[in-house]
Amino acid sequence: MGLASPPASVEALVAELAPRPSRATRLARHPAALKTASFAAFLLLWELLGRGVDPIMLSYPTAILRAFPPMLASGELPRHTLQSLGPFAGGFGLAVAVGIPLGLLMGRYRPVEYALDWHVHALYATPRVALIPLLVLWFGLGLAVKVAIVFLTAVFPIILATYSGARNVSPQLTETAEAYGARPSQLVRKVLLPATVPYVIAGLRLGVGRAIIGMTLAELFTAVSGLGYLLVTYANSFATDRLFVPIVLLAALGAGLTEGLGWLQRRVAPWKESERQEG
Amino acid sequence: MERERAAGGVAGAARGPARARVGWTGHALAIRVGSLVLVLAAWEWYGRRVDRIFLSYPTAIARAAWEMSVSGELPAAALTSLASLAAGFCLGIAVGVAVGFLMGRYRPIEYALDPLVNAFYSTPGTAILPLLMLWFGLGVTVKIVIVFAFTVFPVLVNTFIGVRDISAAHVDVARAFGASERQVTFKVLGPAALPFVATGVRLAVGRAIVGVIAGEFFTAMSGLGQLIVASGNAYDTDRLFVPIILLAVGGVGLTRAVEAVEARLARWKLSERAGG
Repeated sequence: MGLASPPASVEALVAELAPRPSRATRLARHPAALKTASFAAFLLLWELLGRGVDPIMLSYPTAILRAFPPMLASGELPRHTLQSLGPFAGGFGLAVAVGIPLGLLMGRYRPVEYALDWHVHALYATPRVALIPLLVLWFGLGLAVKVAIVFLTAVFPIILATYSGARNVSPQLTETAEAYGARPSQLVRKVLLPATVPYVIAGLRLGVGRAIIGMTLAELFTAVSGLGYLLVTYANSFATDRLFVPIVLLAALGAGLTEGLGWLQRRVAPWKESERQEG
Repeated sequence: MERERAAGGVAGAARGPARARVGWTGHALAIRVGSLVLVLAAWEWYGRRVDRIFLSYPTAIARAAWEMSVSGELPAAALTSLASLAAGFCLGIAVGVAVGFLMGRYRPIEYALDPLVNAFYSTPGTAILPLLMLWFGLGVTVKIVIVFAFTVFPVLVNTFIGVRDISAAHVDVARAFGASERQVTFKVLGPAALPFVATGVRLAVGRAIVGVIAGEFFTAMSGLGQLIVASGNAYDTDRLFVPIILLAVGGVGLTRAVEAVEARLARWKLSERAGG
């Protein structure tokens, strides 16, 4: 009598004997709840603060939400979103089409590497947004200048990532393939490309972020079309609730593309993850 | 959150030691210099044939650079840009390190700030330019704020990862020997996280320069950014290239300086990895 019933298992005993977690540790057990609560608190605070100050200085979440439907209905938001997305897709596609082959050639052939690596590093270091006034001179104010700046901001991270990926392919892999009589085309398709893909995707992710920054800056500068144009227009007319709509869209575009590429990386190169765990 | 860091490692690796395959290695410098000379010569030849408005050529740019330096215009503009860059960047590093440290050390803070940091980090800095102009006007302040906004997140995220991933054994041993929280902070966590902080700072250099240019394009009509816009508007292409090249050189110099610091700080880290 007086004895508590014995714990059912060793695990239960261990759990019973373990020191009681501190408050901080107990809180830390619910990361999702804490994160959601934190975000909700941020929105609530913004809402309360935003309603208190002049709407020109700081709008608030519900007002921004209300600004969405009229902008959608007038066709203004869809039109300018497309005028941003179109050149973005074009310029980024071009950067991929040029950057990956060039990076592979540089990683694979030493003369190509030596002929190009100074130029690539120099242009990578040049802040390409500084070129916007020059590009406007060359391409005018239309869509072409956006394609150009997206291409220029995205292509160098892609080249450098592919290049370092291709040169880091273990010689064991390539030599084995060659010893078994692989043709150059097979070597590229079956050994080099798969081994380089994780690097390429890392380059694409870096390129996406920079390309969005470049494109937005070009649109702010030319102020003719696209989400950047909407930013300028609403800022100049002090419509701060509407000003937040393109900001939210651009943030979503950046986060969505980066997350999508991360997902692709896990799908295409799952061995990369497992390799890291073993190491 | 780790995208910048991962890709930064990639870019860093590209400058690593060359592979051991003989043949072309001896000609490396010759090919590089030859290629550079070829490009400059082609630019000079072609640039002299087309309209000066569209594309200047190297010797004209060099002449413009000399004139702008002698007149004092270029140094003055460079100093103006550098001042805002330094102020905003230092602020970004200070806040990034402090907040990143707290997030890495304390779980509740990590969970509370993580969604917000992610949201702000993925917002393109240029998208909030009009908002910042609305809040901070058109003076020097807005430039500093822009540089701060562009640089704080890479530093913050890398510091956070560095502090979070420090082996718990280090902290436990320090605690077992009676180290106070302050000693743990300055003698264990700080030194261990320093190389990560340096990586974050290196990644932020490029963004800091973009931030200054963006700020000078639209707001404070001063510095190298203003020189670029003014030269572009005047169709003065020789002078347009001078600040661009100066920015590129400055960017490379600054990155190399941070890399040197990073290599010094991470020396023990590399040897530890090799030993493990």
